[in-house]
Amino acid sequence: MSKIKSITAKREFRTFLFLIVLFVVVGIVNTDFLSINNIANSLKSSLLYIVLAVGMTFVLLTGNIDISVGGVLGLSAAVSGMILRDGGSFLVAIAVAILIGAVIGLINGLGVTKLKISSFIMTLGMLEITRVVQVIYTDGQWVENLPIEFKQLSQLSFMGMNVLSIIVVVSVILVHLYLSRSRRGRYFAAIGDNEDGAVLLGIPVERYKTLSFVISSVCASLAGLIFATQIGFISTTAGVGIEMTVIAAAVLGGVSLSGGVGSVIGAGIGAIIMISINSALVYMKVPAYWNDAISGSLLIIIVVSDALIARNASKQAKKERLNTRVLQEEVRESYAK
Amino acid sequence: MLSKIPKWNLVLVVVLIAEIIVFGLMNPRFWNISILLNSFNDFVGIAIIGFFVTFVVITGGIDISGGSIIGLTSVVLGLLSQILGLNIWLAVLLAILVGGLCGLLNGVLIAYGNVQAMVITLGGMLLYSGVAVVLVGVSGVSAYEGIAGFSEQFSKLAYGKVLGIPHSVILFLIMFAIAYILLHLTRFGRFIYLTGINQNAADYSGIDTRKIITSTYVLSGLSAGVAGVMLTSYLGSARADFGSEYLMPILTVVVLGGTLITGGKGGVVGTALASIIVGFLQVGLQMGGMSTQYIGLATGLLLIISVAFLGISSDFKSNFKKIVVPKKINWR
Repeated sequence: MSKIKSITAKREFRTFLFLIVLFVVVGIVNTDFLSINNIANSLKSSLLYIVLAVGMTFVLLTGNIDISVGGVLGLSAAVSGMILRDGGSFLVAIAVAILIGAVIGLINGLGVTKLKISSFIMTLGMLEITRVVQVIYTDGQWVENLPIEFKQLSQLSFMGMNVLSIIVVVSVILVHLYLSRSRRGRYFAAIGDNEDGAVLLGIPVERYKTLSFVISSVCASLAGLIFATQIGFISTTAGVGIEMTVIAAAVLGGVSLSGGVGSVIGAGIGAIIMISINSALVYMKVPAYWNDAISGSLLIIIVVSDALIARNASKQAKKERLNTRVLQEEVRESYAK
Repeated sequence: MLSKIPKWNLVLVVVLIAEIIVFGLMNPRFWNISILLNSFNDFVGIAIIGFFVTFVVITGGIDISGGSIIGLTSVVLGLLSQILGLNIWLAVLLAILVGGLCGLLNGVLIAYGNVQAMVITLGGMLLYSGVAVVLVGVSGVSAYEGIAGFSEQFSKLAYGKVLGIPHSVILFLIMFAIAYILLHLTRFGRFIYLTGINQNAADYSGIDTRKIITSTYVLSGLSAGVAGVMLTSYLGSARADFGSEYLMPILTVVVLGGTLITGGKGGVVGTALASIIVGFLQVGLQMGGMSTQYIGLATGLLLIISVAFLGISSDFKSNFKKIVVPKKINWR
């Protein structure tokens, strides 16, 4: 019983509940929305965002932010796309994409930890730089004509399930276990919760912060590969504005921007919500231009109500503490008499 | 006298002069005063939002919704004046007020709801540009062409001149004066700094910090409204996606201007200088035959390097002092 209670009390559970409510409400309007096919499709189209949100969670947990993911996604997708187009092997393309992500993440991380640049500014500058590098590298052209075999990677299915979806979901669960159960994994949240405390505990704070940026950028370049297989071509604007969607998804999933709180599962569910809203609008026959207005107001409403709930809870706790103290004093007084 | 001017502003002035000289050597047309003055049209929006985002950043917050408020005010202005047929100046006033309302919503949620500024303005950014797109969609205007057909009078707002000085320069100066007076010469300005330095202390000394914080967001929203009107007049049509690429330059000018992203320190003089530097950089690179793609690279690098320099210089200074200047030791 207490186990169920501890699950329902978690923030991720509320996000999950919201996702279910979303699906049920839209499903009442249009039952097609609840078909297995559509649910699988929603998951498939949000894979890229889930991967990005997982990487972002690492950075957010340490109390930093990474705005550059969209640029990394575009750049690595373009570079590995060009390798594939020119007949390079899959392994080389994937390795190059991961290398690009790791290098950019390392630069971000070193900038934040060694040069003490605020992560927001550092990654914002990096976003701009990676975008320009992408345009220069591709000569402003779209990368098209990717080999068919590569595009088919996103269509592979195993026992009726999309292989890519299975891989992503399983790795999200593994990452969640790493972050919540393993010693080193918990360092990330510890750093964000109390950096000075983490230093005093002997956690190599700078190394883990740098690592979080590397992870986030590598996730972004993996997302770039997913983008390339799913879409089949890479435009110069691939991933523009995606960083804000990803941050919004993570926040929806209960990851705090001040660090220390959140889980990758929550962030992943948040990503599914952000993407499902798009298709939900289509199923509800609402014009697509309502998209941003709805996700924006949803984000604000959820975050504000979350903050209010948290504040009320802390107020309640304070009141209880005060009451017990008053009670104790009364008891003491009655003994004194 | 010189010591009174913050050192960073001095650096910015030197950079600006160096920039003008270098670009002038690359292309002598750059030294043409009227071209330089006219180039203000391209970045006056960034500058005036930058002034008031500086306020927000000094209180320790951040406002990334400015760009989408531009798009919203532009659409509101277009709808009110062209579709509903309102008087153009009344429409301008209402559009700027809408910008202020957006800022008010941001501010109230941040100050009274105790939610992080970044999250709320991120949501606001989606919401306001979303509302703008919805307004365009509902009214059935083509999203690509936007709402055009503004009167001659209105386009004079951006293209007109007074005594040979373009209106955009005058607007820049007026907004700078307002921001400077508010921030550096009034009690309100001192309260903003105190709120940024230590909000609890400010609260205990009887300042209603929540009102102060809210007001900075309202000012930032209003300035975005003004920028939206100006941009609409400059480009001659109202579109929802105006200002969507402004997020990066606005933060660049604020941070390059020497305002600490953590709050408590900074000023609008630096923001003004930085916005001119960034603006001239774009004009100069274009004139120097550089393709427009490289401009992003230049501003991105400028942002990172300047912040790294700011960060290192303060660290460096304190370390340097520790090593070089010996502690005063009382020998007796």
